[in-house]
Amino acid sequence: MTKQETLVTFQGVRKQYDDFVAVKTLDLEIGRGEFVAIMGPSGCGKTTTLRMLAGLESPTEGTITIGGKVMNDVPAHERDTPLVWQSLALFPFLNVQENVEFGLKMRGVPDFERQPRALMWLERMGLKGFEKRRIDQLSGGQRQRVALARSLVTEPEMLLLDEPLSALDAHLVIRMQGVLTKLQKELGITFVYVTHSQSEAFAMADRVVIMGQGEVAQIGAPRDIFRAPRNRFVAEFVGRNNIFTGLGREGRDIVVAADRISVTRDKPEGPAIKAEFLSEEFVGTAILCYFETPEGEELKAQVTEEQLEALGAEPGMAFWLGWAPEAAHEMEG
Amino acid sequence: MRLSDVLSRIYVLALFLFVFLPILTSVVFSFNSDRFPTVPLGHFTTHWYETAFSRPEVWTAFGNSLIVAVCAAALSTVLGFVTAYTDYRYGFRFKSAYLALALLPPTIPLVIMGLAMLAWLGRLGLSGTLPGIVIAHTVMGAPFAMAICRMRLQQMDPSLEAAAWNLGASPWRAMSAVVIPFTVPALISAFCLTAAVSFDEFIVAWFVSGLNKTVPVMILEILQGNVDPQINAIGTVVFLTSMTLVILAQLLILRRSAA
Repeated sequence: MTKQETLVTFQGVRKQYDDFVAVKTLDLEIGRGEFVAIMGPSGCGKTTTLRMLAGLESPTEGTITIGGKVMNDVPAHERDTPLVWQSLALFPFLNVQENVEFGLKMRGVPDFERQPRALMWLERMGLKGFEKRRIDQLSGGQRQRVALARSLVTEPEMLLLDEPLSALDAHLVIRMQGVLTKLQKELGITFVYVTHSQSEAFAMADRVVIMGQGEVAQIGAPRDIFRAPRNRFVAEFVGRNNIFTGLGREGRDIVVAADRISVTRDKPEGPAIKAEFLSEEFVGTAILCYFETPEGEELKAQVTEEQLEALGAEPGMAFWLGWAPEAAHEMEG
Repeated sequence: MRLSDVLSRIYVLALFLFVFLPILTSVVFSFNSDRFPTVPLGHFTTHWYETAFSRPEVWTAFGNSLIVAVCAAALSTVLGFVTAYTDYRYGFRFKSAYLALALLPPTIPLVIMGLAMLAWLGRLGLSGTLPGIVIAHTVMGAPFAMAICRMRLQQMDPSLEAAAWNLGASPWRAMSAVVIPFTVPALISAFCLTAAVSFDEFIVAWFVSGLNKTVPVMILEILQGNVDPQINAIGTVVFLTSMTLVILAQLLILRRSAA
């Protein structure tokens, strides 16, 4: 945890619906001005966590505080925790400007004050000239920005985002990631971003919270989670790494990131494993090569195009996959 | 055009003729000078309209029908919306039973409904009064209104209302600022449709109307006396009224599913 002031705390929070436990136990602190991503597979409790923060669900046990105030029983409309919805949930019967003004109107901000604030945000989001458009006349990216403007117009301390980019095309996702990180830096407010996408979380967040089955599996900076996953669940979820069972001290599992594996024909010095080449996959600037050990375990190594060419790898050929001892991270349990 | 296209067009045309020819006939004879509906036709006249609408009881009946239709439509729409919203928003035990009950009235034979209403409203001292007919027609209209509102609410993004709360709207405020504006086309079309149902309804109205006759009840009374082309004239006006309401309702339904 950094030295920043804490804005949100979850203390022993549990959420249960009849027989189904959505969040088992959650202890989490979120700092002021922090960009936190909550990530995990579907059904891990990440969206429930966000909804509890917005007051759309109340915890079965435990306490949630925002700015030091216990929020458990504060209804959604008395909180200042705007949410950007996965579906965006823009009001189809209102035009762009009316959508943005909605939050101000509900808070009783007079008309003459609402309008300039809405227009300012629309301009800031690059939507000048679209004020009177209907929502169905906008592109996906424009709707996204209307949703952001609508949430930010009340100048909240914290913005909640629930998979806001999941409906966009790949190139727009990258652009919106840039827009969001820039916005968060400029405003200096807390962003709590829920996603199942590792690339989105790692690209934007200061800290990533990985959840699995209603519990926090690991909290850390993207780099730490990638290099030093705490357990097998996190390592597998993060991907692009190799888990070696029982190679650590006292038979613990170790993990080596794919880009820290060197592929050679001859047995190298230091730890190495022999495996058969399976296939290759272009991942932007590098190539991810897939191998299989005689025991049938899949291994991955990230190489450059030149390296792959020099190896002359064909499916079925055997290689040594080696790594520097310091590149290996020993996992708990 | 292929033969199958031609045939299917002819079939559709024939179907519409089959449905609308009887009504069309009555419209034609309402402007015909002959006393009996026979061909060849006599000359064009508005005489039957003039005589029909010079009778004060015709005006009273139209007045009654109008009051009843507007009140019953308003009540049906409110009830229908509230029921549909309950279904949309809440999950509860016996919900399917609740919905089945709410949609039940149209399946009850009208004669039974009329008799039951007569007995029930009689106990309440409302039989033979306009409020009595309004109650009966509301019972009949509400399920239609509910079905229309339900269709509209199903098109609503489930996050829309929560988004309003999230932006600081209290549950009541969210209802008036988001749910109702979203449902407005359905509310209007439900109002038009239930007004048309009430305006046309004869059997139940005949049981409960007593001296405060609505238009369909009055038509029967005139018919029982003798066959009179005035009926055609009155019928044409009734037909136009309810067709306008139904078309209005349909237009709203079509427009909202296009949006």
